[in-house]
Amino acid sequence: MENYFDYTKKLFDPSQVKEKPEVFKGLRVLDFTHVIYGPTAAKVLGSYGAEVIKFELPWTGDLWRFGVLWGSFWRHSSICFHFVQYGKYFFSLNLKLPKAKEIIYKLAQNADVVMENFASGTAETWGIGYSQLSKINPGIIYLSCATYGQYGPMRFFPGWDLLAQAASGAISLTGYPGTDKYYKLPDYVGDFLPGNIGALAVIMALNYRKKTGKGQYIDLAQTEALMRIMPNFTYESITGEELGRAGNTDPTMAPSGIFKSSEGKFVAVAAATDEQYKGVCQAMGHPDLANKYTDTFERLKPENAKELYETAKKWVAESTVDNLVELAKKHHFAIAQVEDDYDIANDEWRRERGSVVMVTDDIYQRLLMPGPHDMLSKTPGRIKWLARPLGYHNRYILKKLLGYSDEEIRQLEKERVVGYWDDKPGIKPPVYYDIKSDPMFNYRGE
Amino acid sequence: MSEKEQILVRYGGSRKEREIFLKSMMSPDGKPEVLDDDVILDASYANMSGDICSSIYAEFGAEVIKIEPPEGDPSRKITHYGVNRNGTGVPFIMEARNKRYITLDLRKESDREDFKKLARKAHVVIDTYEPGQMDAWGIGYRQLSELNPGLVYIAISSYGQYGKKAQEMIDVPDSDITAQAVSGAAANIGDVATAEEPYNWPLRAGVWLGWHTSGILAAQGGAIARYYARATGEGQMVDVATADAYSSLVGYPVMVAFTWDKARPRIGIHDFCLYPYGFWKSRDGMVAIAASRDHDFRALLKILKIWKHEDDWRFTFDRIPDMLTLVEELYGLIGNETKKYTSDELVKMALDYSIKSARSKWRGGGVPIIMKVQNPSTTMQNPHWAVRNSFKEFDESGIGKVKLPVNFIKMSESPPRVKWVRCAIGQDNDYIRKKYLQ
Repeated sequence: MENYFDYTKKLFDPSQVKEKPEVFKGLRVLDFTHVIYGPTAAKVLGSYGAEVIKFELPWTGDLWRFGVLWGSFWRHSSICFHFVQYGKYFFSLNLKLPKAKEIIYKLAQNADVVMENFASGTAETWGIGYSQLSKINPGIIYLSCATYGQYGPMRFFPGWDLLAQAASGAISLTGYPGTDKYYKLPDYVGDFLPGNIGALAVIMALNYRKKTGKGQYIDLAQTEALMRIMPNFTYESITGEELGRAGNTDPTMAPSGIFKSSEGKFVAVAAATDEQYKGVCQAMGHPDLANKYTDTFERLKPENAKELYETAKKWVAESTVDNLVELAKKHHFAIAQVEDDYDIANDEWRRERGSVVMVTDDIYQRLLMPGPHDMLSKTPGRIKWLARPLGYHNRYILKKLLGYSDEEIRQLEKERVVGYWDDKPGIKPPVYYDIKSDPMFNYRGE
Repeated sequence: MSEKEQILVRYGGSRKEREIFLKSMMSPDGKPEVLDDDVILDASYANMSGDICSSIYAEFGAEVIKIEPPEGDPSRKITHYGVNRNGTGVPFIMEARNKRYITLDLRKESDREDFKKLARKAHVVIDTYEPGQMDAWGIGYRQLSELNPGLVYIAISSYGQYGKKAQEMIDVPDSDITAQAVSGAAANIGDVATAEEPYNWPLRAGVWLGWHTSGILAAQGGAIARYYARATGEGQMVDVATADAYSSLVGYPVMVAFTWDKARPRIGIHDFCLYPYGFWKSRDGMVAIAASRDHDFRALLKILKIWKHEDDWRFTFDRIPDMLTLVEELYGLIGNETKKYTSDELVKMALDYSIKSARSKWRGGGVPIIMKVQNPSTTMQNPHWAVRNSFKEFDESGIGKVKLPVNFIKMSESPPRVKWVRCAIGQDNDYIRKKYLQ
């Protein structure tokens, strides 16, 4: 039989991704979302082949076009905006005008999915809510993303990742016990994870529609999505006590922690099972400890786990990372060196795997990006192009998808129903790029 | 939807009416389940990300069959401080949603035959063994896809199923804390470099950012593959690496390193993009404040009565400097004012201002957001979640009373739901053997 890794290498070969089919080809998504949370849900569908039309207000655009780290743009754009908006069609339309609504209703006739993340009820007042669009197209799947959901006393409260973390209690879980040192979850994960859960919900609804032909309305609350990953409620209902913070150890495994090695590098070590525990005791040179705690639950008790944590800490402080990894391979316990941004971007294995990819783009040239988080052997996700300047696909959408003539488009531009960028980084093309000769921006329909 | 219902969904309906209508619209009672014809084999072992993945499918109505050796999956014993009910720990109970439990010892040839029989009838298999283990046993994707071409095979492991690293680390098991460490989460949590040890060390997130993200993302990938299988009859393999899941979820680590050509430092409670965007002490607790857009920030200065500082911090880019001393100066400036008020007062001040500014014809009034920082105990008591049925209490034999966060996705036609959390080892042996193995 062929070696397993030779077999899987062929199965997932990253160089073949472009040749493979796309699951959601032919699906149309109307994406009225902004910032991170909603756009992430639409992005997932787009990366698997759906045609995602992103709506933005002319001249101002999505707020997250300006969401840059420490105030510095990359090629007049925001990297995070590229990450949540790649592969979409950028349509800049003033939703408030009746003519714009006509256009949206026309697009909705052939749309499969609609997404929005305004405050509860806003989409309805603007005439693009579920009650209105489902009338035009009853098979539509409509995802409303909000921090607190569409109903309940707090539904009007505005929210961000931070507020979802504060309202769920997730904000206070990361840090050191017995101190007031705690930190929010990093990288807006309170947006990214709920956004992906939104995509999951839509995919489930697509599965349901495949079976029954029925569309539906989905109400996703960011805070509830975060609550789904918190063990605290269940723990508290069993013990009657708060779970609290645990510092740098995982209270479900002993020993476990992030420690400093002899050369000053950080390394995470954990023993998830009894087998792994025996292994780590051997590796630490403390086979006696393996016999001391043969019962898993006994071992995990705070005072015992503390003893093991201290033993492991001391052991790691006296070893090099390479040495520890060799021991882990021999004795089968979990280990990994802490990787920072630079390490992750430059790991050879991630490039080989396709989880870090160099994207080449007509406008922005080259950008290193994370690949899909799930590798699908037959229908892999892919990045076709990066984000685009505001209104970049206006002409393409109006002409190709809706059959407007040049004259009609000029009229819409004149009435400011559709619009383009202002002279601001984030929404305009990079300064070196000649947008006037861009065939997509100046789409003629040939 | 009737005309009346359409009006209720709209913003114009009265608060009470709209709430009642949406609540019944989203209620799972008597509604069909998306995956009611799917059979999922969860063969995950000593890795909760597999249990989390299968949980999601079970919530959407699939028949999830958890395969365990007779002594039980070691993941039953992965639990906070050893807390357990009859040998089953907190995370396992939390993920024991609507599942069936059969004992099969995959190390034994005869039990593997039973597994194959089940796999012929299954739609999804979930595997968290080290890469190649199931294949070596003759029940990997390669063999099962021959028996059942429509099968979706989800494999979760530290470094994935292919490539040099996966091979090199094959003897090292997976865990959440190592996944957090290697995927860029830990490196970006913790206090600034000048803080004292160990507070300036990389820090583990207090939730399973490795395993929960991997499990949920694997469920997403599997659902995409199921959609393709429904359309074409073709199954496929879905490969999730826990070492990747977080970094690919948030994207920042890779892209920042590429554009800056260096890693971000740890900046404690501060933020790289938005300011103010964090939490501050009030007179009686903590408040989270998000007022990062310029007009939000101006509004915040007004309600805290420190307008005199407007000139120094006028633009977003003034407020997110790469100089720590400046960041801390602004943090202190806000903190000096917030500690004068109680949390409730601050929340009310922000809300009153926002309501006024939303009604104002003058633009740019701003919406400064101030929220009381909750902890999980107070979250459970929030009436908002009671209206939304976000928690459900179960009383099961062998477990007793437990509360779970449920209904995290509300859908009008085919919503997910949690029906039971019973999870004794082998409790459904007879049921499964009768239904699938005869």
